[in-house]
Amino acid sequence: MSSHIEADNKTMDDPDSDSQNTESKTPFSIAQQMEFTIKELRETLRDRRTIITLLVMPLLLYPLLGFVLRLVAFQQNGVKIEYRLAIATDEEAKWVSEAIQFGSRFVEDANETDSQPELQVFLPEVQEDFDLEFLVAESAADLGIRVDFKGPDSSPGKNATVQLFQNEGSSRSRDAADFIETRLAAANIELIKNWARAKSSEFELPIEQTRELLQPINKGSAILVLMPLVLLLMTVTGGVYPAIDLTAGERERNTMETLMALPVPRFRLLLAKYVAVVTVTMLTGLMNLLAMSVTLYALNLDKLLLGEGGFTIVLAAKLFVALSAFALFYSAVLLLLTSSAKSFKEAQAYLIPLLLLSIAPGLAILMPGWNLEGTSAAIPLINILLLSRELLEGTVRGLPAMVAIISTVLYGVSALSLAAQIFGKDAVAIGSRGRWHDLLQRPEITSDRPSLALAVSTLALLFPLYFIFSGVLGRGESEPSFRLVLSAAMTLFLFILFPLALLIWQRISSGPGFGINITNALFFVAAILFGLATWPWVFEIIVYANGLGIRGFDPEKIKDIEVLLAQWEKLPIWLVVLCLGVVPGICEEAFFRGFLFNGLKRELNATLTILISALAFGLFHVVLSGGAAPERLLPSTLMGLLLGWLAWRSNSVIPSMILHAVHNSVLLIAVNSLDLLAEWNIGQTEQEHLPVLWLVISAGILAVGTAIVFWASRKQVSQPNSAVPETS
Amino acid sequence: MIKLEALTKIYDQDVRAVDKLSLTVSKGEVYGLLGPNGAGKTTTLRMILGLLPPTSGEASILGCHVSQNPLRIKKLIGLVSASAGLYQWHTPRELLHYFAIGFGMRPEDAFQRIHELSDRMGLQRFLDRRCATLSTGQAQRVNLARALVHDPPVVLLDEPTRGLDVVGAKVVIDFVQQLRSSNKAIVVCTHQLEEAERFCDRFGLLHRGRLKFEGTLEELKRETSQPSLVEIFLQLLQEDSNQPTLSAEKGGSA
Repeated sequence: MSSHIEADNKTMDDPDSDSQNTESKTPFSIAQQMEFTIKELRETLRDRRTIITLLVMPLLLYPLLGFVLRLVAFQQNGVKIEYRLAIATDEEAKWVSEAIQFGSRFVEDANETDSQPELQVFLPEVQEDFDLEFLVAESAADLGIRVDFKGPDSSPGKNATVQLFQNEGSSRSRDAADFIETRLAAANIELIKNWARAKSSEFELPIEQTRELLQPINKGSAILVLMPLVLLLMTVTGGVYPAIDLTAGERERNTMETLMALPVPRFRLLLAKYVAVVTVTMLTGLMNLLAMSVTLYALNLDKLLLGEGGFTIVLAAKLFVALSAFALFYSAVLLLLTSSAKSFKEAQAYLIPLLLLSIAPGLAILMPGWNLEGTSAAIPLINILLLSRELLEGTVRGLPAMVAIISTVLYGVSALSLAAQIFGKDAVAIGSRGRWHDLLQRPEITSDRPSLALAVSTLALLFPLYFIFSGVLGRGESEPSFRLVLSAAMTLFLFILFPLALLIWQRISSGPGFGINITNALFFVAAILFGLATWPWVFEIIVYANGLGIRGFDPEKIKDIEVLLAQWEKLPIWLVVLCLGVVPGICEEAFFRGFLFNGLKRELNATLTILISALAFGLFHVVLSGGAAPERLLPSTLMGLLLGWLAWRSNSVIPSMILHAVHNSVLLIAVNSLDLLAEWNIGQTEQEHLPVLWLVISAGILAVGTAIVFWASRKQVSQPNSAVPETS
Repeated sequence: MIKLEALTKIYDQDVRAVDKLSLTVSKGEVYGLLGPNGAGKTTTLRMILGLLPPTSGEASILGCHVSQNPLRIKKLIGLVSASAGLYQWHTPRELLHYFAIGFGMRPEDAFQRIHELSDRMGLQRFLDRRCATLSTGQAQRVNLARALVHDPPVVLLDEPTRGLDVVGAKVVIDFVQQLRSSNKAIVVCTHQLEEAERFCDRFGLLHRGRLKFEGTLEELKRETSQPSLVEIFLQLLQEDSNQPTLSAEKGGSA
């Protein structure tokens, strides 16, 4: 075995051996990256056109918008309404006025004199020309009233038949009719009651009804959708000009070729541009938020729109987080579109449809029934709009908010990695092929590793899928054993079958694509040791996090989980371990330390590859079928770091699969043996720590495992940075 | 120092932009890659730079293959292109610093190098003015300095005198002489044949992607019995137009 590794090392030490990797790695220098970013920022921020979008636009727009909002808000909050009534004769008008006055005394809302509409009566000057129906149909009056007196006496208080003429196309006419009808009906009932009581003092109305007016929860919800939409659109407008200028502008100024002649991978140049665009977008967002807050405050709109709480700094900060996630996403999309444009004009032609398209979801969620939950939390743009609205309404919940932010950021990363695929390709104008549809083309040549773009895009796709699948699984009322198998099947599909389909489509050999390489058997031993010894530490971190108040589940969910655990105890332990320990261990590793890891490794160094894959792993574990579990972020990310380190050192995914599967299984068996632990006085309450001796022992085992890894990879220190060895 | 072996670029499956081009350029030599528009000069330079992957063949610099280590190759090359623009909102000092760091220099070395270059190329007067305000000649000098900021052993010049007046062109010619005396390998692509005669040591005449003639000016004159490069070129074009297209395609390189 060791001679095999040495042979591999020789090929890997030679940088030229990696024929797939045409852009071999240079160390990622942060100072150099800073210089690249500063150049982009300089080029953008010195340009007055950027400053205009950044500063002047919000200062002009929000006060204007504020006045419009004020108008709408005050209208919604009851400015005096006036109904115009057309009545043919003076007698009828007098009768109506008297009857309404009488009826009003028995209508509840009549006590609030402020909101009472004013009645304006039209009487004809010339009786012959008067056409009551025509007046209403023409909207010259809101309502026509005809009174036929029963008998010759037309004095007020006498009996009559009343006919109302309502314009079917006017809501005001309908409101006026309702207003009159309610009062006449109240008068009628009162008169009947009085008559009946005169006959028999015991008379009671068969039905007594009252009407309570309640303030709507989504008060002014249309405005609350409009505000984030304006805020988001204005924010991204800030990024449009820099995005075009820094990509298509490079070509138009003929600077792209000299830029591409730099000995730096293209994605690092694009990253600098991205940071510049995001910075400007976020600054624009901040300016807009500031201008909006000042406007709301100055025009006294904050309490009117947002209720008693008003617009607080905490709310502004939360909105800024949502805006920032959106800025990260949208800036990447902007760069993706402009990267393929050869001129300003072409880039604008791509961006205008995008901007128009961005308004559509905003209008869609004006319709009732849209809330931030389930699928909508994973739809780009819509999720952030809904999140902003719910932040303003004060109805936001943790899990969907987190999913909205994480998925938006992941979509951004994915768009950026796609942009890196096409950015700079047509710096060489003749026969250039830097167009987006190339991204969807099946490559002609085979390779042994997914590209960074493919790996990151798959990650971005898997996150919402994982969230939705987990949600569906969490709702099922089926048999516990069926649910277990279903959960294993879902894991298998998401983390192996789906990436496998992509590998086949991209003509990437699936073994090396998933990082399945032959490696030193000592790594397997280390993996088993790690798997056995990590769980007490994970347990301790969760207990600590709980102690610090970081916990996602509400008590009700915890009850559900306890029920679930109780159900599992009745199932054969092998099934539980297989479905929740071994299968997830292998599948998750195939993706996080295989597919994703390989893609990252192609462009990044060890630290970044391990860190990013671990963080992605941690974020996935925050989302559970029952809800958000933020306390799992830290242990899962730390676990990801260990798994990533092992995968890097061994240059294979197999040891980390073993580690993960063993770790999961041991944890499950431990949970399954809670009674046993209880006997030893451990784990009776979640807050209770494990005995120090246990931690010492597990630390000892971890140390031995670490030593074995170093021993096994002693001769491989310089190896992992280059190619993955061919499997035989 | 520069070696091209049967370098070929085929666009869209049938357009042979460069066809089995083989040549070598040594230290301290100025090689003029000449040819009319569309002859394949720029494509060749881009393949050497690693900006375009060749369809077949290989380019190497100091024994390092372009296709295998494009980033290392880029460090060895300074590129001058007449059409190259400058960043309008940067000063020449900022621009040179950016490229120096981009080529992997340490900030203190970059500072020193910019100081040296601005003395040599006469940039001091406008080193801290915005590039947008520079004259064509000044911009050209900044462009030349940019290509040399990392002191590369190889310099590629793509139409370096295009759009320049006599004074501007002289700056470029002086620059090339300087490079030669500092022992760099230089490839100049141009169709300004008379100018090329003044500063190139050896020539390659490229036509439809193929190297038709190669040698010193004297060798070319002897071989073609023509008095100047312009005449040689006209003869070449004449021969080409007399031949049926197919036989022209089949003709071997010189």
